[in-house]
Amino acid sequence: MAKIFGGHLVGKYLKENLKIDTVFTLSGGHIESILDSFSKYKIRAIDVRHEQTAAMMAHAWSIYTGTAGVCLVTAGPGFTNAVTGIANAYLDNSPLIVLSGRHPLRDNLTGALQELDQISIVKPITKWAETCHDISRIPEYLSIAFREAVSGRPGPVFLELPPDILNITVEEDEVVMPQPVYRKIVTSPIASDIEKAAEYINQAKRPLFIGGSGCGFSEAQTALTEFIDKTKIPFVLMNNGRGTLPDNHPQCINDGCFTGVMTTLPQADVIIAAGIRFNWVLESGRLFPDAKVIRIDINESEIDRNRVSEVGLIGDVAQVISKLTPLVKKHNHSEWEEKVRKAYTAFIRTELDQRSIPSFPIHPNRLVAKIQEFFGSETYYVADGGDTSYFGMCGFNSNFKSGVLGPAGSLLGCIGTGIPFAMAAKIANPDKQVVLLNGDGSFGFNGMEFDTMIRLNIPVICIINNDNAWGMIKHSQGMSIGYDNLSCTELGERHYEKMVEGLGGYGELVTKDEDIIPALQRAVDSKKPACINVLTDNSVTSPATIQFYQNLTDF
Amino acid sequence: MKFSLLLFALYILIKWSAKTNSKFKRYIRKSKVRILIKTANGKYARLYIFNKGKISSRAGNTNEYDVALIWKNANVGFKCMQNKEKDASFNAAANGNLIIDGMSVYAQWFENGMKLIN
Repeated sequence: MAKIFGGHLVGKYLKENLKIDTVFTLSGGHIESILDSFSKYKIRAIDVRHEQTAAMMAHAWSIYTGTAGVCLVTAGPGFTNAVTGIANAYLDNSPLIVLSGRHPLRDNLTGALQELDQISIVKPITKWAETCHDISRIPEYLSIAFREAVSGRPGPVFLELPPDILNITVEEDEVVMPQPVYRKIVTSPIASDIEKAAEYINQAKRPLFIGGSGCGFSEAQTALTEFIDKTKIPFVLMNNGRGTLPDNHPQCINDGCFTGVMTTLPQADVIIAAGIRFNWVLESGRLFPDAKVIRIDINESEIDRNRVSEVGLIGDVAQVISKLTPLVKKHNHSEWEEKVRKAYTAFIRTELDQRSIPSFPIHPNRLVAKIQEFFGSETYYVADGGDTSYFGMCGFNSNFKSGVLGPAGSLLGCIGTGIPFAMAAKIANPDKQVVLLNGDGSFGFNGMEFDTMIRLNIPVICIINNDNAWGMIKHSQGMSIGYDNLSCTELGERHYEKMVEGLGGYGELVTKDEDIIPALQRAVDSKKPACINVLTDNSVTSPATIQFYQNLTDF
Repeated sequence: MKFSLLLFALYILIKWSAKTNSKFKRYIRKSKVRILIKTANGKYARLYIFNKGKISSRAGNTNEYDVALIWKNANVGFKCMQNKEKDASFNAAANGNLIIDGMSVYAQWFENGMKLIN
């Protein structure tokens, strides 16, 4: 009979049962046996330079592929480095499976290397966190972890695997390999609630559909297409739901961005909010006191959170919409839609001008417009930073699901996510162009991952919107304590492009409008991971900063 | 002329409210914002300066603002600014009677503030 190491059981179960072929990791002694199993079972290991990136990439992988993302980190600092990424996935409701080394069970309480109560640390930011104590139960624990991550409202899970069980062997025949179970939630609203929702929609004069990450995770493309095509309701798709229907869909009003949403919501008489939280970004639902609100969410606690809904439909977004569509009437809201477009266009006139008029120093809106002009809509875009996220999310458009993501805009507000997300996007879509717009501040968090990109040939094109500062904080401070009293907000002019060149990638500095597109072309032609460092107008801020400032000072 | 008077009256109302209306006082106490209201031809214009609770204003066109509410003409501006309907500005923008120059988030801030004193 064949014996198998505990660590190899991990790889075997991941590959053969869970069909996981890619794991994001950084090596470490405590997890050696698992790493060894990746070679044996042909699992692609994306090994990065900081565990934060591993967790964030696995999180992003779940969004780009629709399957759970797996990261493997070693004990102690490997684990603690990953915590920010886990917390980000938790607040983003993403199915992230974190496998972690830990100190030996044998050495508990002895002052072992990297001895730490990791489970207590990670419990509040995971759906499920456990330690496996028995080699023969490793597959069972993995199956539970997977199930917990993807069931219901998705979220991160954490499984700790001590060397006591990874570095010993067991008879392979004696190990039960449970069949992984992924049951699509079939919770369904009661018929009368669906009928009531349909009635509101049929009577609506100024309806608006606003969808969030729940639309993305439920793979709602088909259901949403049928619903929107029938009702012709203007819609906005936000967060990880962006691109569930393409940005160029006739009813999509994403081009109005933040202003379009904020302008339209108070005017709507019926709002269908699907898989989206009424959190601070939507002013906790205070923006639309007079509207009838229909909320669709897989988590019942969201239905009346911050704002009591007129109708609450608990369930998977795609399933609920599929039930709703036969009950709604064909409609034509073109007059309302046109009105909405004209109104927000009048409100964002300045931003539109900034995009179309060359400027020196380069305005970030202009930079985004030139990037969009060059790469077009068959591209995956990621924007990372404070103001930079705003400029990118507003100016980019894509035909792809999750084709425009601003991961720093999630509830954790975690800048530094751009590089990991862009890398994951490129690995998941190797034949597509992946473009990252990074603030210079946020670039600093994971900029060293250009080494990973070069080592593993992940040719992301990163454009730095470089205002030599922590722009959002700088301008917030300017509004509150004054520009003469700025504290810890200046970064200085740094040649990040040279850092990337030094690592073996392509780098270029741009200061003039006319040089943007030629530089992008040279970056593409290089076929290398590239960094185009663009010096932009450092006096510029965005509406997001105003909202951020008002939110934190209203006491 | 009517429009100029309205803009001046608005200044008096804002200044008065900044002293007497506790909700409005609270609303403006940390804000440093310059709002210009004008007609498209620039003939009628008034700047409202909010400086951490203090209010000042001056008549006349200027480029020194954070946001400008630009009315197509004085007549339209006069009617719309007196309209208490919540969708008055939205409709004006949709109908081409109002354009926002600068950061519209400040225009929304101003409009929300006006709801506290009207």
